[in-house]
Amino acid sequence: MARRISTPLTDDVVKTLKAGDNVLISGVIYTARDAAHKRLVALIEKGEELPMDIRGQVIYYVGPCPAKPGMAIGSAGPTTSGRMDPYAPILMENGLKGMIGKGRRSDSVRNAMVKWNAVYFAAIGGAGALLSKCVKAADLVAYEDLGPEAIRRLTVEDFPVVVVNDAHGNDLYEQGVKEYRIK
Amino acid sequence: MIMEPLDLYADIYDLVVKCCTDISPDVKKIMQNAIEVESSPTARSMMQAMLDDVKLAQEKDKPLCQSPGFPAVYVTFGDGTRPGNIKELFAKALVTATKNGYMRPSMVHPLTRSNPGDNSGVRVPNFEFDYVPEQEFLDITLSFKGCGAELGNAMKIFTTAQLGKDYSGLKRFVLETVTKAGGVPCPPIGLGIGIGGQMDVACRLSRRGISTRRWDDSNPDSLYASLESELLQAINRLGIGPAGTGGDTTALAVKIEGASTHTAIAPVAISFHCWTARRAGIRLYPDGKREEIL
Ligand code: SF4
Repeated sequence: MARRISTPLTDDVVKTLKAGDNVLISGVIYTARDAAHKRLVALIEKGEELPMDIRGQVIYYVGPCPAKPGMAIGSAGPTTSGRMDPYAPILMENGLKGMIGKGRRSDSVRNAMVKWNAVYFAAIGGAGALLSKCVKAADLVAYEDLGPEAIRRLTVEDFPVVVVNDAHGNDLYEQGVKEYRIK
Repeated sequence: MIMEPLDLYADIYDLVVKCCTDISPDVKKIMQNAIEVESSPTARSMMQAMLDDVKLAQEKDKPLCQSPGFPAVYVTFGDGTRPGNIKELFAKALVTATKNGYMRPSMVHPLTRSNPGDNSGVRVPNFEFDYVPEQEFLDITLSFKGCGAELGNAMKIFTTAQLGKDYSGLKRFVLETVTKAGGVPCPPIGLGIGIGGQMDVACRLSRRGISTRRWDDSNPDSLYASLESELLQAINRLGIGPAGTGGDTTALAVKIEGASTHTAIAPVAISFHCWTARRAGIRLYPDGKREEIL
């Protein structure tokens, strides 16, 4: 059974999430890929304000397709998270609580999740049309020049994800694979 | 004789749209069968979601994945069926499909990363032409291959000794490469393995096999056929599963293509294909007859 949670994520909710949990997310999440991450981190390093308050928030690693008329967004499945690894720890240090993507994270990102109490979710890679159905609204927040890689505020309803890394150091990519591995 | 290119634009545009909105029927069937035997409930529901995704994309006439991957066109032609300027037609079809919302602008300069915004670009799509003098038809197959999937690719020039007894060195290389890629290539994957030639040949063959063959076919070469099924089974014992979160279904197909090589080397290239096996083809005859290639 999937568990329903809503954003922003509180520290208490984050603590109760366990690797392997099926979760449905409702509320606001933000889109960003590497180019946008680079800009966010540059702002933090200069001590300047970010285009959105990331405390308690979730970032979805996605570069969606353009929306068809009458739709909030085009197809919108996860992109490879590893590309955001160099930037993720500093965002968590500044209050980011969740990330959605696909694929393994680096050790420094996994350590940062434990240190700053944050989680990493996987969405189903490739299922972009299906996932876009859960997006009810999409508004541009910053970096329009980046096109599909601009930062957008998505309002989602029951967006399906699986907890891969929890704040206690567990990793579903290791556990799940071990469980189904045939020696 | 050159096939009249003007005739082909509508067909080519249809191939592009089909690649955006559908996956090959053979792959759907393999996935359906996998759902029945998969022991992880999460893995089962994920694969069902993937099939639902394709259905929805069809219904809504929209891309099934936000990423079009990279387009490649495989053309085989004979003396009487030269393809005319299909390069231009494909480039135009990609730009038009992008304008019509089927493709996210994803083609960029390899270094500056500047994006013209319409999926136009140098060597986009990539073409592989094969001249078969006596062939009486023209085959055009378009393949969109995911680029998250590309991140797992590997190539190695083995020596004869490194291939190992019963090709154990080759098998180990394949299994290690799949393990390392984990959930990134959007499993369940199709794996293309190119063997022989020099580096460039092995790499091209690795993609050709998995991008143009039906995933349920069997290799006419018995050695390659037995390696394909042995590797498929071995990969599915790794436990990686759909989306990499654990399960029995890590790969749906393994396809090997070979070429002769030099005594000193044994090049091996591995191309990952995500589960979104977007392949569409058409066979054209000089009299205007057209057949879909499945
Ligand atoms: S690798 Fe994943 S994200 Fe990329 S095209 Fe394939 S299914 Fe889509």
